[in-house]
Amino acid sequence: VAMLKCVMTGSQVKVFGKAIQALSRISDELWLDPSEKGLSLRSVNSCRSAYGCILFSSVFFQHYQWSPSVTMNGNDSTLNLNCKLGMKSIGPIFKSLNSLERHVEKCKIFTKSDKCKVVIQFFCRHGIKRTHNVSFQESQPLQVIFEKNMCTNTLVIQPRLLAEAIVLFTSSQEEVTLAVTPLNFCLKSSNEESMDLSNSVYSEMCVGPEEFDFFQIGVDTEITFCFKELKGMLTFSEATHAPISIHFDFPGKPMALSIDDMLVEANFILATLADEPSIASSPQSLCLSQKRKRSDLMQSDSRADENVTSQARECTSRKAAPKRLYPDETFTSNSMLGKCGSPLMKRATGDISEVPESSVSDAEGVPASPYLRKFSCMFFGAVSSDQQEHVNHPFDSLARVSDSEEDINNGSFSTF
Amino acid sequence: MKFRAKIVDGACLNHFTRVSNMIAKLAKTCTLRISPDKLNFILSDKLANGGVSMWCELEQENFFSEFQMEGVSRENNEIYLELTSENLARALKTAQNARALKIKLTNKHFPCLTVSVDLLSVSSSSRIVTHDIPIKVIPRKLWKDLQEPVVPHPDVSIYLPVLKIMKSVVEKMKNISSHLVIEANLNGELNLKIETELVCVTTHFKDLGNPPSASEDASQDRNPEQMAEVHLEIRKLLQFLVGQQVNPTKALCNIVSNKMVHFDLLHEDVSLQYFIPALS
Repeated sequence: VAMLKCVMTGSQVKVFGKAIQALSRISDELWLDPSEKGLSLRSVNSCRSAYGCILFSSVFFQHYQWSPSVTMNGNDSTLNLNCKLGMKSIGPIFKSLNSLERHVEKCKIFTKSDKCKVVIQFFCRHGIKRTHNVSFQESQPLQVIFEKNMCTNTLVIQPRLLAEAIVLFTSSQEEVTLAVTPLNFCLKSSNEESMDLSNSVYSEMCVGPEEFDFFQIGVDTEITFCFKELKGMLTFSEATHAPISIHFDFPGKPMALSIDDMLVEANFILATLADEPSIASSPQSLCLSQKRKRSDLMQSDSRADENVTSQARECTSRKAAPKRLYPDETFTSNSMLGKCGSPLMKRATGDISEVPESSVSDAEGVPASPYLRKFSCMFFGAVSSDQQEHVNHPFDSLARVSDSEEDINNGSFSTF
Repeated sequence: MKFRAKIVDGACLNHFTRVSNMIAKLAKTCTLRISPDKLNFILSDKLANGGVSMWCELEQENFFSEFQMEGVSRENNEIYLELTSENLARALKTAQNARALKIKLTNKHFPCLTVSVDLLSVSSSSRIVTHDIPIKVIPRKLWKDLQEPVVPHPDVSIYLPVLKIMKSVVEKMKNISSHLVIEANLNGELNLKIETELVCVTTHFKDLGNPPSASEDASQDRNPEQMAEVHLEIRKLLQFLVGQQVNPTKALCNIVSNKMVHFDLLHEDVSLQYFIPALS
C-alpha cells in the first residue's frame, strides 16, 4: 500500500492552492502524483492540447513522507498513487486562499492507495480543525516529455510583464498569437478569431527585448495558442515571484511555459496551431498532425470518451513500426521525433501490440480540407515508476532527468 | 473621411478615460460624433433603449494636443460612428501612464477606430499597445435622429443631492419595487418614493437649492411647495446613477410633470444630458 503524508504552513497552502487554481484552467481533473522527489500535481485537457504539471519538491513542505508500495508481483506498477481528483471536489477546498493563509496554521494531506480517499486537514486558529475527505479515482497519471532546451526560441520574463499584456484581452478571447523577431516581441489577438467576429476588438502589445530577463530568438515565428491556458500559468506565477520561461519553435510544435523557484517547479505545455502546408503528414513522419480543425479535435475526443490510457495507446500506435515500447526502440523513436520537434509520448508498460491496425488507418484516413489549421496533438505517457526498467535501460527517458546540459548530452529527454 | 487625434497630457488622458468609462456604463452601444470643435457621445431615444436618451459633449481642444478631421463632405464636415462603448473604455484603460495616446480612423479589414498607446515602462523602454475597435459609419440620412435634444421647459428645476447617496437609496429601493416616483419642488425639496401593497418608502432630500429660473413668470406663478412628479422605471434611473463614478461639478434635475426627467450634469468641462421618459 502506497502512502503519502505531507504537512504545510498557512502560507505554503496558499501556493499549493494557487497551483490547483492554475491547473483548473486546463482541465476538470487533477492527478496527485507523489514521488520521492516531491508531490506533483498534473492536469491534461480533454483534447490533449494542454498539459500542466506543478512539482512541489519534498523540501517545500514542512514534512513530506512518501512510501511507495512494494509488491512481489513482477508487473505490478502500484508504485504510483494513481490518484485522480475532480476539480469540483478539490477546487472549493482551496478556494479562498487569502482566508486560508490567514487562518490556517497547519495543513495535513494524507492518503493511502488502498482507501481511494485523500484526507485534507486544516488546523486553524482558535483550535478549529477542518477535515475534508475527497474520494479519488484510480488512474495512472500522464506526463509529457518535451525537450524545452532544444527550442530555438527562449524568453524569460517577469510575470508582471505577462500580466500587463493579458489585461489587453477580454475573457472571451479564445486564442492569442505570440509573434517574435530578434528585435521584437508581440502578443496579439489571434487573426482568425478577429476576422470571424466583426465586433471583436483586435489588440496587440509590442515589447522590446530589453524588458526581458533573457531574450533569445533563433527563428522569427508566430505561434497561436489558447489564452485560457496562458492565464492559468499566470495565476500560478502570482504565488511565486520567479520569472516565467517560455520555450517555443515553429507553429504546430508545442510551447512550454515554466517557472522554477527551487522549491516549486511548474511546467505548462501547450499545443500551438499549425499552418496547414508546413506540416508533413506522411506516415513516415513521426510528427503528429491531425488533419482536423482544433474544434474537431475536441469533439472527436469527447465523442470517443475513452479513458486516458487508451488515448495514449492510440497516439503511440500511429508512431508506426515499434509495436512494443521497449526503451531501446523508444530511443530510436525519440531521436526521430526530436527532428520533428514534437514531444515524445512514453508509456510505461507497452500494451501497444493490442491496438488494432484499424485505429491507425482511421486517423490517417481523415481528409484534409484546404485552409484548415490544426493543432498538433501531444503525446503522453503514463508515469513509470518501475525502478527495474530504469536500471536495465539507461535510455529510458522516464528516468529522473532534469533539464541540465549533461543530461541532454546523454541523449535523454526531459520529463515533467 | 479622416480622423486623427493625439493626447499627450496625463491629466487629459485620465479625464478622457473617465468619460469613456461613464459612457460605457450608460449605454452599451452609442454614436460618436466627430466635428471640428467637439466630440459627442450620443444615444438617441429609440424604443430599443426604452426611450432613454443621452447627449454628452466635450470640447476637443481641452483634451487633444493634435486634432485633425475631415468629415463626410465639406458641407457636412462631421463624422458619425457607431461603436460598442465598452470597447473604447477598455482600450483606454490600458493606457494608464501612457506617454502618448493616438486615436485614428482606419480601415483594416473593416472600419475601425484604432487606439494606439505609447507606454513608458519601468525599464524606460517603449511599449506599444494597439487596439482596433470595429465601428460602423452612420450614413448621412440617419443623422437627423442624432441631433442635440431639445430640452423642454421644466416644471421644476432643482440641484441634485450627492449622487452616491442617491444611488445607494435607489439601489435599495430596487429590491422592493420596479418603479419609483421622483418629485421635487421649488423649495429645494426632492423625494424618491416607492409604493407596494405591503410597504411605502420615501426618502426626503432637503435644502438642495433651485437654480434661478429662466422664465420669471412661470416660477412666480408656481407654488413653491407644489411637487412636480414623474413615475420612472428604477432600472433606468439606477443605470444613470451607476454611471456617475465621480461626483459631478454640477448636477441639475429638470422635471416635466408626468412626462420626463432631464438630468443635466457637468463633469469638469464635459457636459452630460440624460433623459428618462415617464412610465407609460
